[in-house]
Amino acid sequence: MTAFPIAGVDRLAVQALYDAYYGALDDVELEAWPDFFTQACLYRVIPRENFERGYTLSTMQAESRGMLQDRVTGLTRTQMYAPRYYRRFPSPLRIVSSDAEGTRTRHNLLLVQTLIDRPTEIVLSAVCHDLIVEDAGRLRFRERIVVFDSEMIPNSLVYPA
Amino acid sequence: MSARREWPADTTGRVPFWVYSDPEIYRQELDRIWYGPHWLYCALEAEMPAVGDFKTTTLGERPVIVIRSAEDEISVLENRCAHRGVKFCQARSGHAKDLLCPYHQWAYDLNGNLLGVPFRRGVRRQGGMPADFDPAQHGLRRLRVEVVNGVVWASFSAETPSFREYLGEKFWKHYTRVYDGRKLEVLGYNRQHIAANWKLMQENIKDPYHAGLLHVFFVTFGLFRADQKSAVDLDETGRHSVLISCKGEQEVNDVTADMKNFQGDLRLADPRILDVVKEFPGEETVGMITVFPSVILQQQVNSLTTRQIVPTGPVGFDFHWTHWCYADDPPEMRLRRTRQANLFGPAGFVSADDGEVIEMSQQGCAAAPDEAALVVMGGREIAPTDHMVTETAIRGMYRYWREVMGL
Repeated sequence: MTAFPIAGVDRLAVQALYDAYYGALDDVELEAWPDFFTQACLYRVIPRENFERGYTLSTMQAESRGMLQDRVTGLTRTQMYAPRYYRRFPSPLRIVSSDAEGTRTRHNLLLVQTLIDRPTEIVLSAVCHDLIVEDAGRLRFRERIVVFDSEMIPNSLVYPA
Repeated sequence: MSARREWPADTTGRVPFWVYSDPEIYRQELDRIWYGPHWLYCALEAEMPAVGDFKTTTLGERPVIVIRSAEDEISVLENRCAHRGVKFCQARSGHAKDLLCPYHQWAYDLNGNLLGVPFRRGVRRQGGMPADFDPAQHGLRRLRVEVVNGVVWASFSAETPSFREYLGEKFWKHYTRVYDGRKLEVLGYNRQHIAANWKLMQENIKDPYHAGLLHVFFVTFGLFRADQKSAVDLDETGRHSVLISCKGEQEVNDVTADMKNFQGDLRLADPRILDVVKEFPGEETVGMITVFPSVILQQQVNSLTTRQIVPTGPVGFDFHWTHWCYADDPPEMRLRRTRQANLFGPAGFVSADDGEVIEMSQQGCAAAPDEAALVVMGGREIAPTDHMVTETAIRGMYRYWREVMGL
């Protein structure tokens, strides 16, 4: 067990980052999404079976803020999908460690979707392994690895987690 | 119910919508197609490197265990205890010395032979199996297996010709272009459930007409477009097909004028996803093979996958993606393939369009079983073409399907 609270971590500031992050995504403010990450970053939404075997192949992956922007471009300008509402239910945050590299956190995430004429359903049940750093005066994700248990995605994963 | 089902008079130009939703038709498809004289995709050989390594999968609706039963042998066994029918192996993959059903501890060897039955002779002279009980008659059902250049195929039927004959010489060539005997390695998996009939997935990859229209990402960045050099090839029976294309560049011309969604001004902020290298002989950059009925073998630029179809009823299938690389790929090639995987799978810039649209097809077709789809793009012929403005491969599949189904 890690000692808690971890010295030097402003839990409120970390929590505020998540509040803003999930707020932006739930409100589909996709243009704001890449800015929650550092310029060079690692974003993955990855099946648990890949993660556990050490495979890096992901359902969604970006290695830079630019690739995150491209994901938004794809979503808003090239992809075709039925309209839907996504809502994210993060569990309370656990701060795992904090050192020169940044602050590592973990929390569970339930991602739920609602399509027209359909009952609401779970898209992903996941655990997020994040690395948060201070960057240009604010907190940003350097890494966000969303490891999902879900064996079968109900058709598409459209919006980010 | 199927007694009432009649094929439309325009035999190759129409596909009646009842093929996508009639439960009796679906039941017959399982028997005649999935459990009939066809080879079904099971696994990559690389998924079970050592004796005792296994993975489970589903062929048609039947759960099976794919296991390396000897150094040079892979067995495909029905995952159903011969005693009371338990699907006894619940793991996705693993390693086993023998196969044990937890219910009454019946044990089988790696070839599915029944090794032992607890209390076979009874307990203190009470109970036990009858004297005529012969363990040799109660093994797991074993399927025919062929391992072909790193891919494991199985068939339920004794009538199925050899895999090479099943493909035909032309498709053997298409197959061995990518599955050329080099060792393969798994990069990772994607799995999704699509609420649509399994044939719609096959049709999607037999339909190059949509690729240059629906997939704005493809079209915009020149990866697959109607004006590029391309071809559709079919085997003799019409059941297998391949879409072949050569990638171009992002450009505006007379053809893009017909694409309402073409985005000539779009630029990627980080174009490493399009860092494509040529790796196969010839100028083709895309080779999408549909091996009837169970799998799509994808080579899209440097992204290589097997997309296995597992029907779960008339209106649904599970879609299992195995992304792979060659075992001797250097790290940068693995990274390139991993990056390009953003185009495919349930969140793929391109493939997500397909999952969405075929579910929308299902919604439209199921509501009007007595209506029919029109598949006359490129005429009514069933023959290879040197362009992609055609639905010939869909017509080919249904000609074969009707033959097998006796419709």
